[in-house]
Amino acid sequence: MEGAFSYAPAIAAFPLVAFVVALVFGKWMPKKGAIAGIAATGASLVFSLWMLAAVASGETYHETLYEWTAGEAASEIGADTIGFSFGILIDPLAALMLVIVSLVAFLVHVFSLGYMNAEGETGLPRYYAGLGLFTFSMLSFVYADNLLMAFMFFELVGLCSFLLIGFWFRTRSAPSAAKKAFLVTRFGDYFFLLGVVAIAATFGTLQFAGDESFVAAAEAAIDDGGQLFGFDAETWVTITGLLVLGGVIGKSAQFPLHTWLPDAMEGPTTVSALIHAATMVAAGVYLVARMFGYYALSPTTLAIIAFIGGFTALFAATMGVVKDDVKQVLAYSTISQYGYMMLGLGVGGYVAGVFHLMNHAFFKALLFLGAGAVIVLMHHEQNMWKMGGLKDKAPVTYYTFLAGALALAGIIPFSGFWSKDEILYDALIVGLEEPLIMAAYAMGLLAVFFTGFYTFRMVFLTFHGEPRSEAAEDPHPVGWSIKLPLIVLGILAVVAGIANLAPVAKLANVDITFLEHWLDGEYGGIDEVTYSAYSELLAYETGVISSEQVTVLIAAGLSLLLAFSGAGLAWKLYSDPEPTAHKERLGSAGTVVEDNYYQDEYQVWLAEGVTLPLARVADRFDQTVIDGTVNGVSTASLFGSSWVKRIQTGIVTNYAALLIAGFIALLLGLGVYGGWF
Amino acid sequence: MAIYELPEWTALGPALILAVTALALFAFDSISPRSTNRQLLAGTAVAGSLTSLGVAVWFTVAGVGTPTADGGNGVIDPTHGFVVDQLALYFMIIVAVVTALIVVASYDYLVDHAYQAEYYSLVILAATGMSLMAAADSLVTILIALELASLPSYALVAILKDNRGSVEAGLKYFLIGSLSSAIFIYGISLVYGATGHLELAAIAEVVSGETEAGSGHDITEMGGLLGLGILMLIGGFAFKTASVPFHFWAPEAYEGAPAPISAFLSSASKAAGFVVLFRVFTEAFPLGEIGAVIGFDWTVAFIVLAIVTMTLGNFAAATQDSVKRMLAYSSIGHAGYALIGLAGLTADGGELVMGAAMMHLLVYGFMNTGAFLFVALAEHWGVGRTFEDYNGLAAQAPVACAAMAVFMFSLAGIPPFGGFFSKYFLFVGALEAATASTAMLVVAAVLVINSALSLYYYSRLVKAIWIEDPPATRDRLAQPTGLYAAIIVAAVMTIVILPGFGPVVDAALDAAGAVVG
Repeated sequence: MEGAFSYAPAIAAFPLVAFVVALVFGKWMPKKGAIAGIAATGASLVFSLWMLAAVASGETYHETLYEWTAGEAASEIGADTIGFSFGILIDPLAALMLVIVSLVAFLVHVFSLGYMNAEGETGLPRYYAGLGLFTFSMLSFVYADNLLMAFMFFELVGLCSFLLIGFWFRTRSAPSAAKKAFLVTRFGDYFFLLGVVAIAATFGTLQFAGDESFVAAAEAAIDDGGQLFGFDAETWVTITGLLVLGGVIGKSAQFPLHTWLPDAMEGPTTVSALIHAATMVAAGVYLVARMFGYYALSPTTLAIIAFIGGFTALFAATMGVVKDDVKQVLAYSTISQYGYMMLGLGVGGYVAGVFHLMNHAFFKALLFLGAGAVIVLMHHEQNMWKMGGLKDKAPVTYYTFLAGALALAGIIPFSGFWSKDEILYDALIVGLEEPLIMAAYAMGLLAVFFTGFYTFRMVFLTFHGEPRSEAAEDPHPVGWSIKLPLIVLGILAVVAGIANLAPVAKLANVDITFLEHWLDGEYGGIDEVTYSAYSELLAYETGVISSEQVTVLIAAGLSLLLAFSGAGLAWKLYSDPEPTAHKERLGSAGTVVEDNYYQDEYQVWLAEGVTLPLARVADRFDQTVIDGTVNGVSTASLFGSSWVKRIQTGIVTNYAALLIAGFIALLLGLGVYGGWF
Repeated sequence: MAIYELPEWTALGPALILAVTALALFAFDSISPRSTNRQLLAGTAVAGSLTSLGVAVWFTVAGVGTPTADGGNGVIDPTHGFVVDQLALYFMIIVAVVTALIVVASYDYLVDHAYQAEYYSLVILAATGMSLMAAADSLVTILIALELASLPSYALVAILKDNRGSVEAGLKYFLIGSLSSAIFIYGISLVYGATGHLELAAIAEVVSGETEAGSGHDITEMGGLLGLGILMLIGGFAFKTASVPFHFWAPEAYEGAPAPISAFLSSASKAAGFVVLFRVFTEAFPLGEIGAVIGFDWTVAFIVLAIVTMTLGNFAAATQDSVKRMLAYSSIGHAGYALIGLAGLTADGGELVMGAAMMHLLVYGFMNTGAFLFVALAEHWGVGRTFEDYNGLAAQAPVACAAMAVFMFSLAGIPPFGGFFSKYFLFVGALEAATASTAMLVVAAVLVINSALSLYYYSRLVKAIWIEDPPATRDRLAQPTGLYAAIIVAAVMTIVILPGFGPVVDAALDAAGAVVG
């Protein structure tokens, strides 16, 4: 594996080339840029796998490639220089994420052949250019070795998201949704930027790993017990960590900045699968994992992360229950699932969080692509009440979708079960000692029921029963380019759980927690960014109910029980050949949920009722005071000018008099000053 | 090139070449008074000024004035009352450049004009005076050189004999000039009376107490007398540089004179005034010692003058209707900027601010000359005098108008043009000097405010030329080769002086360092 890492920049460079090619030559290419995109992401995937193999063979890579500026600085802890650079950090976490991103990107590109090209969309070069730029940005974000570089690519993926949500820019809703996504995530990123600046100003470095990292500097500062910017070191780490978390909450669609994600479904379904399910939305969670050492230093931040995660998981799941649009259900489910990951990371379950990130990327991409296939089958109908009976007409789509649904619902032995169960187990053992975490756990647990319910409501309404529309009776056929990605992801949704069968390992006492070993750097890793290094930093106490095995069984049993009850309820309500809506039964609660708890309304009110008047006041200040001053200065200048002009009378005797008068004034002034008189 | 093999008097070469050229033109005119051989006359004048320029550059490169310790040839003392050092050569270059530009431009301007030979010989004669001003280091030679520059200028301003404005301007210029010269000469006599010397170095020795004053008195007893003399000298120089309160002639003279002459007076003549100012005050009245004699450092006077001159020039320029008059006032404003070079000096430093003033004068030599030459072009076209008359010229003469935009933005101090850098250095130098005297902070602030204001009226002209619609009645515009060539060279130099700024900065800072240190 010697020298593998020198090819690391190529992983991101391939999609960048594809972006340029699609943009410039796409119009004249046979598949309008699809071939370039597939080739590039395929190459990225191969190289990413190579990196994975290199890390597995015990190597890691951490290299600064280009320092674009460096200089003296006065940081709070005394470092007197600071450099801003681009660099690559490939450790087990990054290598894993590279493979996930490039794999999903590759499959989505293939799927796009069937979803976009075959459906005769126009503007395809723009579409493929957007995907290429996104893939480039996302991969660069993943192996960024410092926070500023991460921030820059974080913004760039946000831009790509904006561009692709608004792909159908001639409709009314898509540009509006794109704007909303951009603004809401930007609101979070504003805090992220503040956090980046604060961390740079405090520690004089933005590196993620190594002796020079801000994580190490923060740890040292806390050990010293000194003050940072007038705060206790740990408090300051909490503050900066929370600032960065602002970006995470926006990007990973956590409460209260989750409102953009459902609207983002206005983009092509392929984009939803790649960007708004598997990868970009994961960027927030990935960032927490990337700088987990920093968060581990601050129990307060971790608790907040856990609580936000647990709350979002439940909150979003309840909204998913009442949606009629298949993509909307999946959108809320995505929000909910990222809530689980945040919960996992927040309780110190680094492995569990990353594990669920991986599984979710596969099964949620699968579900979205499955939904895309359904949309193609249904002649672009997305309302589930108009579907039904697709089970027999599109078996490949059905069975792969079912695999994804089982994984999402957390049914044993599908992949989602293992990772979700691990998160809940980690939350439970911490929760036994910490009441707040217990509350977060309870919400996460309750969300399992809703997840099971909405997932199977979706499956039953879409695929079971009698066809409820003409389109459903006579579905449009789908080609291999749609089926192939579904099959690949379907297999992964079933088997990916093998990576970390923690409950089995604990019960049977066998050593099969491969992902944990992987993230712990047992195959290869960088010392300070491993699971065990993080575990040492964590301040959580854990407890068990009677014994570890019993606790594992209780946790798994509870979540399975709830998942089955949710699925069972859905089966009872919706498995009729002619299912009926049961929304009325929810009464006024149903209305509240259907209106998404008025989240959009209150955010609009915040914008219109609070921000707008403030902006008006600022504008008035600008118009009157600032502009008034400027205009006043100019009026005064012009007035002064006309006055000065008048001195020049044109009469030469006046000049002589004024000249002498001026000279005498100077003489008197300086004479008095110099003491001549 | 071993310069010392030449006799020492040749060090005055740049000025002597101009003198010979002027005399040759006179001789030609005497022999053939009615000659209309314009090519020969203009060609001779151009050749003379370019040769002068070439020799001055050659001397600079060959190391005249560079201290021998640095491998140069040292300061050369060609004859009593003159000195050739880096400062002198630097300003000889400016004078020669401006002369060459306006002579080239005049070729087209003077079509169908009487007194061609007189015109050229007067220009070259005035240039000779200016060139000598750069090298004069005795109050007597300074006076003679200054008058040699002034007298032909009066005639040149009034050379359009059929034009009432021109004649009136010439007379006003002459009257104010006479008054200023009287004050100046009185100042010289007072300085002589107090110190007993006319040579700058000898005056400095008396001021610093190394030698006794000629009258046998202790110099400190005559502080008031010397101070008055110094103030009167300032008056004479203020006239030459068009600084307040001796600026009254400038707007009228610049407006009435043929535009190339306006360019000549506002660039070369001003620069010559400044070199004498720099030399006299740094050499004859050393800071640190002068304060003990006259009660204050003369920088105070320049701080006041700089502030007033900048402000008056720019404020008066802001609402002018006539383009030429606007440029005239802007020229007064720029004299104020250059005065900062003296205001910011301190006893033990100030090369930066003075070097900046010198750079500004060099860049100004291109951009201001170019701007006036554009006015000359407009007069040649006969489009009119006001901003409105200039409306939409760009549609008909884009190249010249692009050059004019360059001049305007450079005068306003917009990057990347030369005017930005020199003004920036002035600003930095002023701030540096503010550590010694807080009044320099005021100067720096006034500089910024005035620059902002100046952008208003400079861009007003650019707007008129480029954005406004041309009047429907305007005829096709000719493209006179000489004027165009001079304008384009000036524009190119205004821009490329930036990459060339390394050597220019070094030259200016060396020259400033030599006189200050």
